[in-house]
Amino acid sequence: MNGRNLALVVAGLLLAVACGGNNSTGTSTGGGKHGGTLNVAIGIDPDTLDPAAQTTTTASQIVDMMVERLYTMDSSGNTVPQLASGDPQVSSDGLTYTIPLRTGVKFSDGTAFNAAAAKQSIDRLLDPNTFKTQPGVLSVIASTSAQDDSHLVVKLKSPFAPFVAALTQTNAAILSPVSLTQQGNTAQKVVVPVGTGTYVFKERVAGDHITLSANTNYWGTKPNYDTQVIKIVPDDPSREALIRSGGADVIISPPLSDLPALSKDSTVKVLAAKADRTIFISIDTVDQNVALLQKPEVRQALNYAVDKKTIIQNVMFGQAVELDAPMSKTLFGYCSVGTYNYDVNKAKSMLQAAGASGMTVKLGSPTGRYPQDIKVAQAVAGYLRDAGLNVQGPMTSDWPTYLGSVNVPPAQAKYDMHLLGWAPAYLDASQQFEQFRSDRIPPKGLETSYYSNQQVTDLVVKAGSETDQNQRKTDYCSASKIVWNDAPWIFLYNQSFPIVYSSKVTGVGSFPNEKFDTRYASPA
Amino acid sequence: MLTYLARRVLLAVPTLIGVATVIFMLVRLLPGDPARTIAGVLASPEDVERIRHQFGFDQPLYVQYVEFMSRLLHGDLGISTRTGAPVTQEILGRLPYTAELAVISTVIAVGVGVTLGVIAATRRGSLLDLGISGLAVFGLSMPVYWLGLMLIILFAIQLHMLPAAGAQDPLGVILPSVTLAAFSMALVARQARSAMLEVLGQDYVRTARAKGAPRRSVLLKHALRNALLPVITVIGLQFGSLLGGAVLTETVFSWPGVGRLLVDSIFSRDYPVVQGVVLMLAVAFIGVNLLVDLIYAYVDPRIRYN
Repeated sequence: MNGRNLALVVAGLLLAVACGGNNSTGTSTGGGKHGGTLNVAIGIDPDTLDPAAQTTTTASQIVDMMVERLYTMDSSGNTVPQLASGDPQVSSDGLTYTIPLRTGVKFSDGTAFNAAAAKQSIDRLLDPNTFKTQPGVLSVIASTSAQDDSHLVVKLKSPFAPFVAALTQTNAAILSPVSLTQQGNTAQKVVVPVGTGTYVFKERVAGDHITLSANTNYWGTKPNYDTQVIKIVPDDPSREALIRSGGADVIISPPLSDLPALSKDSTVKVLAAKADRTIFISIDTVDQNVALLQKPEVRQALNYAVDKKTIIQNVMFGQAVELDAPMSKTLFGYCSVGTYNYDVNKAKSMLQAAGASGMTVKLGSPTGRYPQDIKVAQAVAGYLRDAGLNVQGPMTSDWPTYLGSVNVPPAQAKYDMHLLGWAPAYLDASQQFEQFRSDRIPPKGLETSYYSNQQVTDLVVKAGSETDQNQRKTDYCSASKIVWNDAPWIFLYNQSFPIVYSSKVTGVGSFPNEKFDTRYASPA
Repeated sequence: MLTYLARRVLLAVPTLIGVATVIFMLVRLLPGDPARTIAGVLASPEDVERIRHQFGFDQPLYVQYVEFMSRLLHGDLGISTRTGAPVTQEILGRLPYTAELAVISTVIAVGVGVTLGVIAATRRGSLLDLGISGLAVFGLSMPVYWLGLMLIILFAIQLHMLPAAGAQDPLGVILPSVTLAAFSMALVARQARSAMLEVLGQDYVRTARAKGAPRRSVLLKHALRNALLPVITVIGLQFGSLLGGAVLTETVFSWPGVGRLLVDSIFSRDYPVVQGVVLMLAVAFIGVNLLVDLIYAYVDPRIRYN
């Protein structure tokens, strides 16, 4: 091959690459302009697409595009019907829920959706033989039965107020009963989820991409893109490179430090989606080595010692909101309870009064689990040193090791304080209070501050079975105030969930639990 | 020759049993609870225990070991705790990508590396030699993630010529191959240069020149062939380690190879997959070493296997 031929071949290849990326056609349909392929890049390779075994919101979101639940959340986090046709009828003892179902809906394989199908999927979630099944709070279900085709009756073991909200979780998704024996699926293990969703599974190359095609028979508003390709790009800078090079139309979680530059780039748009994850420093409230940490006034002083605003501005690049309650604003049951405004002198004098000046504490933090985690822990350590503490650390390790070292009973605690994040699976305060209930101290739960206040536990248990929603709010608010005062944490911030998308795309949304929503994206 | 081959294959068996035992112990020495890691932070203690039971992590260690070894003898590597798919299927799904990357980058590394090494050796002390040696040092000391990102910025973001990540586009293999080849190429070039220098000083090369053999024939037939043995060793070792997956390159370029599978599995404490990949790596190394030994005999007919 001579030089000229080579040049021609290279030019031809380049042309092919250039054309390959541009496959939106731009004709208009119902929800927005019709488009060809939408490329979305996410950071993790979903373990499994089986709804019953979902553990991360990113993977759940992919599953949500294919299978739907009886109830879902809207973009503000409210619980709304999806495959249910309205609110359930609840018996006066709070134990029996009769859920009305949509009629005329078909799964993407043509099977009819009905109460029997809903029953089968929920029973499957509760069946201990289902591979890696995680019913979680839904193990409160005692039995399910199909009253008729369009009514599912669910009986609970005990009253559980946030039951409908809990049904919005991906693990409660409804699969086509027929699909459980097809495409390599078994009742125990689902590889290809077939549901009633906007998109249908087409292909998966493990570690590389998942391809979904539009469900042409979708019962609701039809999606705009024919195909969505979910690319697995684990490295944050690589995802950013992909959207800058046009290889992706939507990416989640770019490197935070590049967000200021991305915000100025006219070819992309940045969406700082609201989310529910709180980031905090959990304090060992029964610490035997540093007994002073058992005193609430010492823990309050530590809260005054840390400048949350500066950390949010300079370490989190503005992608977080300072906490004013022990939970994010997006949860049901949130109320604003106060602030610990940065005041190092106040912190110092409070520490001195408690005899805690110059105390030595060990601080732990994971690396790479949450955006900027170890850097935030370093900043916190700096502020605590400014207040006169002798801080050892932050000591760090990979996530499983770290989780193993903090998820231990009090006697085995390794750190005096540790950085952690908590993101409720559904947006109810009861999920956040898993962090403050004394009956959730490891090994019974992940309440790693070992905080124990009977008043709080009582209020939370009461609110958990209350039917009056206003009373529940009041109870959670009262409990929040006590927690805020007792300060088992250094309350840091509620991080946002940044999504970057091409300015050629519109309709990219999000849910306030770290889920992105591209179901109704369309060419701009 | 065949007896030699049979003996080598038989000798590999105890090696593999040893590797299997060591890796079985090593993954279990890693801190962190596999069941909790799989289940996630929000999982209830009951869910965590159920998962622990499903994978048999609640069994005594020796029971787990006996089960693992007896399955292994039947060619069964178990089920991935992360995905639920058979480990062999997980690895076989990734192997073609890793093999593609390993072969292409080795071809680039050998082609360019040997050529540069020979040129440098024949022009010893010249500016060209200095330039090639400099390039080799550059290639050896360059962190791959940096080189990878630079290539992405240039060819994907600035020039829009090549994809930035992923294996979906056939052209996607180019940047990771070049990135991966940079290190091996530098290694091969240095090895080829020093081996050639040694051979070029030998009597038989002088004899060949004295009898008037053409320069090209002296270099390629007399010198290079004799200089190849150490170069082949280096290539073999490099290829073996490339087959194990190039974790950093695969991460930067989102390449779905074995290296990333291994890293993902370590971080999710997926014991069966970690064991499987390490065993596969051991098999690859044993195989490549054997192949290298056989190639020795081809390149140097004085070597006989009996």
